[in-house]
Amino acid sequence: MGDGTRFPDREIVFFGGKGGVGKTTLACGYALLAADRRRKTLLVSTDPAHSTGDMLETSLTDEPLEVVPNLWALEIDPEREADRYIQDVKQRLVESTAPRLLQEVERQIDIARVSPGAEEAALFDRFARILDETRGRYDRVVFDTAPTGHTVRLLSLPELMGAWMSGLISRRHKVNVLSRMWRNVAGAAAGDERPQTDPVLEALRKRKVRFEHARRTLTDATRVAFVFVVIPERLPIIETAKAVKLLKKYQVPVGGVVVNRVLPSEVQGDFLERRRHREQQYLHDIERTFAAFPIFYLPLGATDVLGVDALRKLVTQLPLDGRTT
Amino acid sequence: MSTRRTGGNIWSRIRRRIRAAREIYEGLYVAPYRAAIHREYLRERDLFFLIGFADLLGTPNPVAFYTLELYPDLIEQFHEWHLRMGMPHSPVDGFRCC
Repeated sequence: MGDGTRFPDREIVFFGGKGGVGKTTLACGYALLAADRRRKTLLVSTDPAHSTGDMLETSLTDEPLEVVPNLWALEIDPEREADRYIQDVKQRLVESTAPRLLQEVERQIDIARVSPGAEEAALFDRFARILDETRGRYDRVVFDTAPTGHTVRLLSLPELMGAWMSGLISRRHKVNVLSRMWRNVAGAAAGDERPQTDPVLEALRKRKVRFEHARRTLTDATRVAFVFVVIPERLPIIETAKAVKLLKKYQVPVGGVVVNRVLPSEVQGDFLERRRHREQQYLHDIERTFAAFPIFYLPLGATDVLGVDALRKLVTQLPLDGRTT
Repeated sequence: MSTRRTGGNIWSRIRRRIRAAREIYEGLYVAPYRAAIHREYLRERDLFFLIGFADLLGTPNPVAFYTLELYPDLIEQFHEWHLRMGMPHSPVDGFRCC
């Protein structure tokens, strides 16, 4: 089934797909393979329900931890990330707010901390920072992502948030222009002179730059590849086809599709023959649906894939050297 | 330069007259615009507040988490706003800044 196509080998590789298809297995295996080839590799889990550490049979934190030589791994912790941000804001409040207001404002901020979207935004923030800071420090950054919907959302945030920020910036700009006009005509009535730079505008611009930067990175096909993992079953195929369309909309380059858990030809029996018959149709569907992308196949094993050795054995079957399977 | 005391000195009298004339001029011509500009400035500022902090009024705001960091710089203005609206206390539930 191999067509001689090489597996996408980019600076930043995402593994995504429906829940339970083997994203973590593939991400860990690919990262290991890169590390074994002496590429300094960072493996990042963006799934709030982390399983990367379990797969590598170690416990990971929010900071990079060396798992095997050349391979570092971390699991983004949205809660910790949100707390850190809130602490930051509170710290600045203490410096700039009148004491009589402080308590109530802090209460308001604690409400915002638990509001919907807070942890998503915090996760995205850390994600964007990793995209930024790893450049030049690692040869490969491999993302083990959350199931499809969550990840598509994460990758679409730079565009959605960027547009919102632009709106806020232009409004704020107008406020400042009018403020200047008012100061010019009002003289002393306008009160104390404000500093020349508006901290609000500065903060908004900084955010926008970060969104733009993340977006530029994510849409750069020379640096990024998103690899979908599917299994030859109906629902994963449908869900992945939808996700491919969405990534196209957000211009995130798809680098290939890995079909995981294909029944090996040597297993036999009446029951398996029937399954195989059904599977053939799904494999055909996959070839048709994802014809635009390189497709790679991995067989179903007799035992679970768990731990570094089993992972290594599994991914050597991927055509990273241009070998076919 | 300005060590001279005000009073009998002819130059300072002239200066006072000029200032008085300018105030009359401003009162006649600039003041109406000044009020309009001030109104427009406050309106635009409130609008920014509404867009940036729509969540405070119960409207979903996708960037609420990111505008949180603007609180320290905007809290005093929010206070001014509701005082100006004739409300001694904040109208927004959960945002009682005073």
